[in-house]
Amino acid sequence: MKKAIGLALAVLAATVVAASAQGGQQVSTQAAAGVSCSGTLKIAFLTPLTGGAGFLGNEQGSWAKYAVKTLAPAMGLKVQLVMGDTPVEQGAAVAQTLAQKYVGDKKVVGIIGPSTSGAAVAATQTFFQAGLAHISPSATKTDLTKSDPSTNGGKLEGTPAFFRDVPGDYIQGPTDARFMINTLHVKKVVIMDFQEPYSTGLASAVDRTLKAAGVATSRLSASNTTTDYSAFVTKVPSDADIVFFPTQKPGDAQTFAQQLLEQGKKAKVFGGDGSNDSSQFKVPGSYVSNFAPDITGFKADAKIIAGWKKDNPGKAVGSFGPPSYGAVQIMLTAIKKACVADHGVIKARHDVLRQMKKVKISNWILGGKFAFSTKSNDPLNAKFYIFQIQSNGSYKLVG
Amino acid sequence: MTDSTPHSSHTPATGPAVGQDEWVARHAARGLLPEGPLRRVEERLRVVPWWAWLVLFLATMSLLPVVESSGYVRRVGFDTVLYMLLALGLNIVVGWGGLLDLGYVAFYGIGAYAYAILDSDKFGIHLPTIVAVPLVVVIGAVAGFLVGLPSRRLTGDYLAIVTLFFLQLFQTVMTNGDSAFGHNLTGGPNGILNIDPLHLFGHDLTVQHQGVFAVSYFYVALAFFAVVYVALKFVNASRTGRAWRSLREDPLAAEAMGMPVNWLKLLSFSFGAAVAALTGTLFASLNVSVFPLTFYFVLLITVYTMVILGGSGSQPGVVAGALIISPLLEMLRDPGKSRVIFFAVLVGGIAVAARRSRALGITAAATLAFGFAAHEIARAIDSSWVSGERGGGFAGFVDHWVIHPAQLASWIPPVSYVGLIAATLGVTLLHGHRRLVALVPTLYLAAFVWENVMLSKPEPARYIVLGMILIALMILRPSGLLGERRVEIV
Amino acid sequence: MDQFTQLTVDALTLGSVYALIALGYTLVYGVLKLLNFAHGDVFMVGSFIGFGVLQELGGTSNPVVPVWALLVIVTFAAMAGCAALGVVIERFAYRPLRDAPRIAPLISALGVSFFLSNSMQLLFGADPRNYNTFDLSNGALYLKGFDIGNVRVPLLRIITIVSAFVLMIFLWFLVNRTRTGKAMRATSFDREAAAMMGINIDRVIVFTFVLGSALAGAAGVLFALRVPTTVSIGFVSGLKGFTAAVIGGIGSIPGAMAGGLILGFAESYTQGYVSTKWSDLVVFTILIAFMIFRPQGLLGRADIRKV
Repeated sequence: MKKAIGLALAVLAATVVAASAQGGQQVSTQAAAGVSCSGTLKIAFLTPLTGGAGFLGNEQGSWAKYAVKTLAPAMGLKVQLVMGDTPVEQGAAVAQTLAQKYVGDKKVVGIIGPSTSGAAVAATQTFFQAGLAHISPSATKTDLTKSDPSTNGGKLEGTPAFFRDVPGDYIQGPTDARFMINTLHVKKVVIMDFQEPYSTGLASAVDRTLKAAGVATSRLSASNTTTDYSAFVTKVPSDADIVFFPTQKPGDAQTFAQQLLEQGKKAKVFGGDGSNDSSQFKVPGSYVSNFAPDITGFKADAKIIAGWKKDNPGKAVGSFGPPSYGAVQIMLTAIKKACVADHGVIKARHDVLRQMKKVKISNWILGGKFAFSTKSNDPLNAKFYIFQIQSNGSYKLVG
Repeated sequence: MTDSTPHSSHTPATGPAVGQDEWVARHAARGLLPEGPLRRVEERLRVVPWWAWLVLFLATMSLLPVVESSGYVRRVGFDTVLYMLLALGLNIVVGWGGLLDLGYVAFYGIGAYAYAILDSDKFGIHLPTIVAVPLVVVIGAVAGFLVGLPSRRLTGDYLAIVTLFFLQLFQTVMTNGDSAFGHNLTGGPNGILNIDPLHLFGHDLTVQHQGVFAVSYFYVALAFFAVVYVALKFVNASRTGRAWRSLREDPLAAEAMGMPVNWLKLLSFSFGAAVAALTGTLFASLNVSVFPLTFYFVLLITVYTMVILGGSGSQPGVVAGALIISPLLEMLRDPGKSRVIFFAVLVGGIAVAARRSRALGITAAATLAFGFAAHEIARAIDSSWVSGERGGGFAGFVDHWVIHPAQLASWIPPVSYVGLIAATLGVTLLHGHRRLVALVPTLYLAAFVWENVMLSKPEPARYIVLGMILIALMILRPSGLLGERRVEIV
Repeated sequence: MDQFTQLTVDALTLGSVYALIALGYTLVYGVLKLLNFAHGDVFMVGSFIGFGVLQELGGTSNPVVPVWALLVIVTFAAMAGCAALGVVIERFAYRPLRDAPRIAPLISALGVSFFLSNSMQLLFGADPRNYNTFDLSNGALYLKGFDIGNVRVPLLRIITIVSAFVLMIFLWFLVNRTRTGKAMRATSFDREAAAMMGINIDRVIVFTFVLGSALAGAAGVLFALRVPTTVSIGFVSGLKGFTAAVIGGIGSIPGAMAGGLILGFAESYTQGYVSTKWSDLVVFTILIAFMIFRPQGLLGRADIRKV
């Protein structure tokens, strides 16, 4: 039996070699002679596809796939989208491994993502050193593009190759807080976080602004795996006006709001962009902030939405998907510009990177026009929109 | 590790022989190859000393960065070496000590975090590598000792629970450590960043050069591995190793013979934790950052699978286990390679099993024929049933055999998947001819499910494969590939 | 005072669900001396089965049957489904290992747990599934209820607590007042002697798994009625159910019930009065303390090892 195992091992080893040859990894790391734009180009998308944040990656992936399918042929490009799974549970290591993988693949000329701030911090150096532009549709950590004195001693975590098409926490936090102060006239706010980078960063940003305006704040912290918030609800003071709830799971916002009602508290839930899903979070009176108005109301996007729905039957339009579409659009535009500038060839990955900053989109999926800010790799004039949930469950723009 | 029976170049012929245990001799003879050139080669190889194998292995591994300049392959190679180290460490606790330690990766995390705290901007401490690495190893050993303390009074399952809870505890503490009594100790969910690279022989080890993984870390890791392997080999051959073996086989008898059973258990915990902590330093310095969630359940199961697959208790075994599983997991990310692996395993499995029985070869042929027939029938019924997107090369070739619809109705994946599980379980219940007959459609269904359901979602599919390997191993071959076959005397 | 009442209600709700999960662990451990790590994932599958059946019956916005019937059907469907799953797992992952060293079925259980949660993810994705119980009768289950002082105890919680208790009483009855229950108790006491007395061990073990898994399925539905469920809840819930079983004394049925409630109280009060961040830590410290100082738990039998 041992010998049979040995033989099987030998077969497996041979397969391993054969399979790795099959994969066709380009090995050259020198500045390539250039990738022809008439051949198939690749862009890689690093996002969590499994694990606790898996819903995020799957939603973003579906929109990115749709964007590649519809936009690339229109630009005369043949593009293949490769997905890399960066589960939040596996942290930085897998992001770096996958970064290496795509850096080594000559055909990869651009990266979408990483979607999570943790993975972005881990992989950005690798991409920058390889000259690969990477644009994230959801990594909102402030110090990826702007230095944040409250974290990491003010050091910038990002690199010049990192872009994003959604504004960072340094906008969302104060926007939400100012709305609460100016429009809602809050006196007491409870701020929650979920012990992971997105919510802790956002919670701190809101806390700072509120405290500076003299509002009484208190902090609550739930673990990332909490699903039952009853005990947290009991700690919400009965005179609190708002509970700021920067979750990435709209279902949890719904649960929390329902449990507030259950216990007769008057506080309303104020969710961040991660809680934006009218099919899951619909308790009337709650607030949600988002970096775009609900695109299902935009006539210009109707065709895109209809097409996406056809490819993804039974799924609802979420808030994380459209920015991924936009990110792909920006990337493809930059690739196209590089191809044109270099006469049908992309001589080096830097060329795409150089074109990224100059990209302007006039029919931006999130409304209006898109351009990068001159001061950072964030969108120009990015703002956050505040919505209130109406009694019929729809989101109304209020700020 | 290999059986120490007298070289049985002759099977015991007739009646009992003096000085030779008949059962043992028969048992040994069963494992031998039949007479022939293969057997002669095998006997030659058996006398090669272990350190020669080690040198050969190291030499082969060292060639990897020379042969492959792709940063990705080098990076996977590095990760594999880390896994080999982890497997060696777990082998001490599970394989030699016989203690089910489900919190093992917490020590890995402790090592990584300890190095991160001692060598980063977090608290401004920047200990030189020569000091930091041994210090972390000591910290790991102490942690292992402390966690092992409850093991004195707890048997197998209870120990498993306590260690599992220790893992959960580690996770909770690390995640909330950014507000322990108002101090940011562990960086919380944001982890610790900007960790110093290792500093050896006056140079900081470069992590990457122009975005490509540099070789220096790979060689350092190999060096660590070699040192640990040799050290553990000596420990295993020493009195402590023998004591561990007796403890594992029968704790009661060991205690009755006067072995310091509790001390031995603590020692195995400490050693395992120390190796894990050492690996943690490599991990932290290379990744330049640590986050709590890395050291959790998925990693635990992965390392366990490597150890069990290779054979717990056998050092070359666990190294082989890591060498198989780590690249396998990496390759399963890519649908093209996954397909190749699946069919290779299918064909290889049948080939290996068919050596013993012609019937299996016939089954293979039958499956092939069945597949083509089914494919043609499906095409005749509705051509969209077989016109899924065709890739080039191997994928296209396979598509002539497997049914690959263009559009998959939403009820097909769950139904076919559950059906496959049911069919597989049913096959294990049947015997003889009926089993072979049932095997044919099952194999075809497996190919269908793989191609249509699992390839499109490689991420959970990888872990499903891991889980299946673990279950199948425990049922079919608990001693793994190179582990010793233990005979339980009830 | 209000906060105390509220927290107590929470504790009872949480505790009942934990108790149901813990019972499954305890039953299996008693009979097989095996910690069924896959139990938490059976719980998760139960919540998904409930979701599927709920959708088939029209969902909570347009149920085709009255509300009480809806809840009963969904619960029973989940219980039946999980019972079947438990039987399959036992037959194929644990029975071949019945005489193997104790480590083997434990590791096999780990493998099954991993396999289950990832299979569910493969087939149904990582999105959370919300029963949307709030939509039933316009939120009646949340907003109507009994009042204790200033605190209103909503119907939904009452349903959860009462159902759990009914199930537990039913289980107690089964185990203590029927022949099969007696066979179970005999097997858990001494398997070989029970076999020699003519008890069909295989059948008893299957029965045990059916019971335990059915309870897990019910727990899954009761859980998911209040909070959204995902494919990853199995591990943590399993861990908590485990903790409850061990605190109460693994192998003892009243122990599992007590342990579940204790865990619910510990978690709820810690989150309410001490700190929300460290509630997990407190719970686990309690557990480890128990393991070190009183491994047999509160109501368990001290393990007498016969040499």
